[in-house]
Amino acid sequence: MIEVRQLTKRYGPHTVVNDLSFRVDPGKVTGFLGPNGSGKTTTARMILGLTDADEGVATIGGRTYRDLRRPLCEIGALINAGAVIPSRTAIDHVRWLAAANGISKQRADEVLGMVGLEAVAGRKVGGFSLGMKQRLGIAAALIGDPPVLLFDEPINGLDPEGIRWIRTFMQGLAAEGRTVFVSSHLMSEMALTATELIVIGQGRLIAAESVEKFTERADSSVRLRSPQLDEMATALAVEGASLWRNGDALEIVGFSIEQVGAIAARVGAIVYELSPQRASLEEAFMQLTAAVCEYVPMQRGA
Amino acid sequence: MGHTLAMEWQKLRPFHKTSRTVATAIGLAVSVTAIVAAAMAANAKHMTVNDRHTFDSVGISLQGVNAAVLAIAAFGVLCMTREYSTGMISVTFLAQPRRLRVLAAKLLTHGAVAGVAGVLACTSAFAVGQALLGTEGLANGWSSAQLPSALLGGVAYLMLLCGWGVALGALLRTSAAAITWMASLLVVAPVIVQILPESVVHRIERWLPSQIGASAMSAHSDPHLFSPWVGLAVLAGYVLLTLAAGAWRMARIDP
Repeated sequence: MIEVRQLTKRYGPHTVVNDLSFRVDPGKVTGFLGPNGSGKTTTARMILGLTDADEGVATIGGRTYRDLRRPLCEIGALINAGAVIPSRTAIDHVRWLAAANGISKQRADEVLGMVGLEAVAGRKVGGFSLGMKQRLGIAAALIGDPPVLLFDEPINGLDPEGIRWIRTFMQGLAAEGRTVFVSSHLMSEMALTATELIVIGQGRLIAAESVEKFTERADSSVRLRSPQLDEMATALAVEGASLWRNGDALEIVGFSIEQVGAIAARVGAIVYELSPQRASLEEAFMQLTAAVCEYVPMQRGA
Repeated sequence: MGHTLAMEWQKLRPFHKTSRTVATAIGLAVSVTAIVAAAMAANAKHMTVNDRHTFDSVGISLQGVNAAVLAIAAFGVLCMTREYSTGMISVTFLAQPRRLRVLAAKLLTHGAVAGVAGVLACTSAFAVGQALLGTEGLANGWSSAQLPSALLGGVAYLMLLCGWGVALGALLRTSAAAITWMASLLVVAPVIVQILPESVVHRIERWLPSQIGASAMSAHSDPHLFSPWVGLAVLAGYVLLTLAAGAWRMARIDP
């Protein structure tokens, strides 16, 4: 289990991760979604003790990474598949990792077999394709047979065959009862791989729920056209709606038509259009993560 | 710490690569000594009785170690910079989140390899040097009284420079920067110092790492230079200072 509580990270004036809290449970694949630059990698690095948090804490099975005595046996991570010295062979790479946590040499051979690299175990990593490097990275993550796995963008740059392999592999790991936490910026991919979602945008938590629920929520938005869009946006935001501007209209997620209509009556706004929309999942995700945090009012008299 | 040492030791595999470093160090030591000793032997007929009396047979035979030191220092530098430049250092920190232990383990394992390389390089250079000098009766042989201290000095010099390489690598993180600094200190600085007026040279020269190494391996003392062990202590001071800065950067600044 991974638990993140009030995690915050600033780089100069930029708050990259902002008061982020969530929990990742065992037995499921949990997707960690957000656009590029939304703080996913920084969060992963804080969980793994590679970057210090300014505030808050991240724990694996109740302990922070730096308190783990044999970390590779507690959590396996793939953070950068290219991070291997090219002149080293695949088997040498997993062997030094095994030695680092007192894991047997046989296990090193075993994990290469699990990811289908046994035939190229003696070859130098420099000559590996991106897909092979990703497999090696996954083998390295599995070396200590850990109950928790964290993969940062594992499908980046993979061909469809490789993507399908990783997807099935991760689901298999979760079926064994492990905690599998996978970050990605591709909503469509996560819809296929994960059952739970943690969605972040600009370092803040947007949603932490099942894929099913998120899909349902994102699928039914409400479109509102009105000459008093800014007033409506403010009123809706106060009520807790997620919204974004789409041309001369507002797209509202999480509220029914009836609720939006009631708010419009209370504000006294003229309504030109109030209609249900069926946004595509990808589109809803993009809009949510890009615009949910900051509603930018339209320039008056423009 | 045991596991961390095992990790760094395992990284030194495949041994054929590590032994290539050792072989390079020996090769440089032997060939440079051979050139210098052969030149000295060829010049022997012009030497006066006094020249022969003051001839530093041990020091000349260990001249090649000054070349081997470059290979050993680079060996130390690369164990850090190759990990930082590829990003593999993050994987290392995943396996051992206590970063200073990683640094300590690298120092110990690489220092041990440098020690073995140092013993082999110094003794083989000495053997070749003495054989060549012996043709003109300039050899002191293995029973020379100054030999143990000169050999020990040579090995200590190589081990310290390996440690300095590791420390510079931890501090600078890129191979180009760390090796440039190393080469500047060992090769360029002595050349620059030699152009300065003699009175200035006498004051500065003793602080140069290369001079400290040379006088540690010499049988003769020079009043303008540190005695062998004082010199090595000064060099150890340089290494410790760099190491402190490197350790701070490694622990505090994330890769």
